[in-house]
Amino acid sequence: MLDISNLSASIEGKNILKNFNLKIKTGEVHAIMGPNGSGKSTLANVLSGKKGYKIEGKAFFEGEDILNTPIEERAQKGIFLAFQYPTEIPGVNTNNFLKTSLNTIRKSKGLKEIDTLEFLKLVKEKSKKLKIEEKILSRQLNVGFSGGEKKKNEILQMTILEPKLGILDETDSGLDIDALRVVSDGVNSLRNKNRSFLIITHYQRLLDYIKPDFVHVLVDGNIVKTGSSNLAHELEKDGYEGVTSAK
Amino acid sequence: MNLNFEKFQKTNLGLKKLNDLRSLSFKKFETLGFPTRRQENWKYTDLKNIISNNFSDLQIIENQKESKFNSKFLIKNFEHNRIVLLNGHFIEKNLSFEDQKKINIKSLNTALKSEKDFDEIKNYFNDDDNSMISLNHAFVNDGIIIDVDDKYLFNKPLIIYNLFDKVVENKIINNKVFISLGKGSSLNLVDFYKSEHNIKFFNNTVHNYTIKKNSILKKFSINSSIDSSYNYNSTKIKSYSNSIFENFILSLGPNFIKNEIHCNLLEKFSSCFVNGIMLLTGNQHHELKTNINHKFENCKSSQLVKSVLLDNSNGTYQGKIYVDKCAQKTNGYQLSKALVLSEGSGFNSKPELEIYADDVKCSHGSTTGNIDENSIFYLMSRGLTKDQANKMIVEGFLNEVIETITEPSIKRLVAELFIERINKVNL
Repeated sequence: MLDISNLSASIEGKNILKNFNLKIKTGEVHAIMGPNGSGKSTLANVLSGKKGYKIEGKAFFEGEDILNTPIEERAQKGIFLAFQYPTEIPGVNTNNFLKTSLNTIRKSKGLKEIDTLEFLKLVKEKSKKLKIEEKILSRQLNVGFSGGEKKKNEILQMTILEPKLGILDETDSGLDIDALRVVSDGVNSLRNKNRSFLIITHYQRLLDYIKPDFVHVLVDGNIVKTGSSNLAHELEKDGYEGVTSAK
Repeated sequence: MNLNFEKFQKTNLGLKKLNDLRSLSFKKFETLGFPTRRQENWKYTDLKNIISNNFSDLQIIENQKESKFNSKFLIKNFEHNRIVLLNGHFIEKNLSFEDQKKINIKSLNTALKSEKDFDEIKNYFNDDDNSMISLNHAFVNDGIIIDVDDKYLFNKPLIIYNLFDKVVENKIINNKVFISLGKGSSLNLVDFYKSEHNIKFFNNTVHNYTIKKNSILKKFSINSSIDSSYNYNSTKIKSYSNSIFENFILSLGPNFIKNEIHCNLLEKFSSCFVNGIMLLTGNQHHELKTNINHKFENCKSSQLVKSVLLDNSNGTYQGKIYVDKCAQKTNGYQLSKALVLSEGSGFNSKPELEIYADDVKCSHGSTTGNIDENSIFYLMSRGLTKDQANKMIVEGFLNEVIETITEPSIKRLVAELFIERINKVNL
C-alpha cells in the first residue's frame, strides 16, 4: 500500500528525514516510535502534503508516487492524517465541515453525495459506537475543545471518512485512559485486511491497546531498528538509547 | 456639482424657522464643503475626493411625484411590518401585525409643515461641525417619525425599505429618521437598502433615536446586494435607564458606505451593542465609525466587527469608547478582526479609549491578517480543495458575528443574504 524509498525532507535548511525507507503492506499496522526531533511528525506531514518542506525521494501509495500530488487529492485517494494538534477553525460548524469533507471524497470516487439526513444518521451511529458525545459536532470545529475532545474528533472523522491509510500523529499524547480507549477502539474497529495504519507515538501505552504488526524506531531521520510489538516494551524499559546502542 | 440651494428654498418654502435653519446650515456646509482627509473623523475616507471622482454633476433630488414601488423587492417568507421609503420619500406603511393605536408614524415632509410637529424636532437641527449633517439639515424634505407608546412590544419586526429607482441617478438624497421608543417598549427594526438600477447616487440619512427606560431597540442594517450607491448614515442614540440598543450591520453591497453610530448611555444600566461584518470586493469602500459615550455609571457596551477585503477594496473601523468621570463601573469591550486577502485591498483600524473614571473595565483589540495556512492545510487534508477551504474559513470567520444575533428569524434572514452574497465572491 505504502512504499517509501530514500525519502529526505528538510525545512529551513535543516535535514530531518534522511534517506528514509518504509514499506507498509495492505492490512498492516506499523508503529513508529522515536525521541523528540527524530522526524516522526515530519514524516506524517510530508505524506499528507504539508507545504514548506524540501523533499527528495519517492513515496508510492497504491503504486503511485504521491509526493507531488495536491493535498486534497491525497485525502481523496484515501490517506488520512489524525493531527497531533488539530487546528481550531472559528465559525466553522464541525458537522458541516465533515459533511463537506465526506461528500468531496465521495464525489472524487464517483459516489453519490449523501444528504444531511443520511449524514446525521451516519454520524449518530459512529459517534455512539465510539462513545463520543454527539454534541461536540454541533460546535465550531475544534474551538474550545479539550485536548481529549480534539483527538476524539480526529478519530471520529477517520471513522466516517474510512480511509485506506490512517496516519496517527501522536494522537495518544496527553490523553487520559478513557480517551486513549476511544482512540484505540476507533483504530481497532477500522482495522481490516484492506486498511493500513501508521501510528506515530512516544509511548508504548497506546500499543497495548492497538497491537501493531511492526514497531520501528526512528532516530535522527532514519529507522534504526524494526521489531515486533515487543520492541515497544523494550523501549519503555531501556529507553531509545539502550535499545539502539545494543544493535 | 450643482447644489442649488436658492432653487430648493423656493420650491420647499415652509415654516420660517425651518427656512432659517436651512439657510444657516447651508452656509455652514458651503464653508466646510464635503469632508476631507484633513478632518480626523474622515482620516480614512476622503469623501470630497470620492464624490469628485464619481459624480460630475451631483444634484439635489426634486420632490417625489412617483409613489409606486416595485413590490418584488419586498422580503418574502418573513412575517413583518413595513414602511417604504422610495428615493428617500415616505410612501407607504403597513403595520398589519400590530396594534396601530400604539404606534404613531408620520411622514417628515408633513411634520416639517406643521408648527407643532416641527417644534418637537427642531432641536435636532442644531448640530456640530459635521458638514454632512449640515447638508442634510439644509436639504431635508422627507423621512419618517416613529413614536412607540409606553409598554408596547412589537409582535413582528418592522422593515424600513429604502428603495431607489432610476430617478435618483446622480442625485443626492437628504432625509431623516426619528424613532422614539416609549418606556418598556420594544422593536426589532430592519433597515433594508435596495437599489433597482445599478446607478450612482448619494444617500445621506440622519437618524435620531430615543430609547426610554426599560425599552429595547434591536436594529439590523442590511446592505447586502451589489449596487453603485454611495451612502452616509449618521445615527445618534440617546439611551435611558436599563435600555438596550443593538445594531447589527451587514455591510456588503454598495460602492460606498460610511456608517457613524454615536450612542450616548445617559442613565444607569443602559447598554449598547454594535456588531457588524464587511465583505468587500472590487473598489468598494466601507467605513464603520462608532462613538460609545458612557455618561453614567453601570452601563455596558460592546462592539465586534469582522471584515474581509478582496481586490482593491478598502474597509475601515474607527471605534471610540468614551468614559465620563462619573461613569464608574463601566463595562466596555471592542474587537475588530480583518482578513486582507489581496495585494490591492486594505483595512484601517483605529480603536480609541478615552477614560476619565477609575473603576472601569474596558478592553479593545484589533487584528489584521491573512487566512491561517494551518487551517487551510487541515481542511485540505480532509479532501477539500483550496477554494473550498478558503471559502469555509472566510464564511466561518464572518459567520461568528452573525451568530451573535439573538432574534432567530432575523438571524436566518441575515444568514441567507450573507450566503447569497458570499457564493458570488471569488475567494
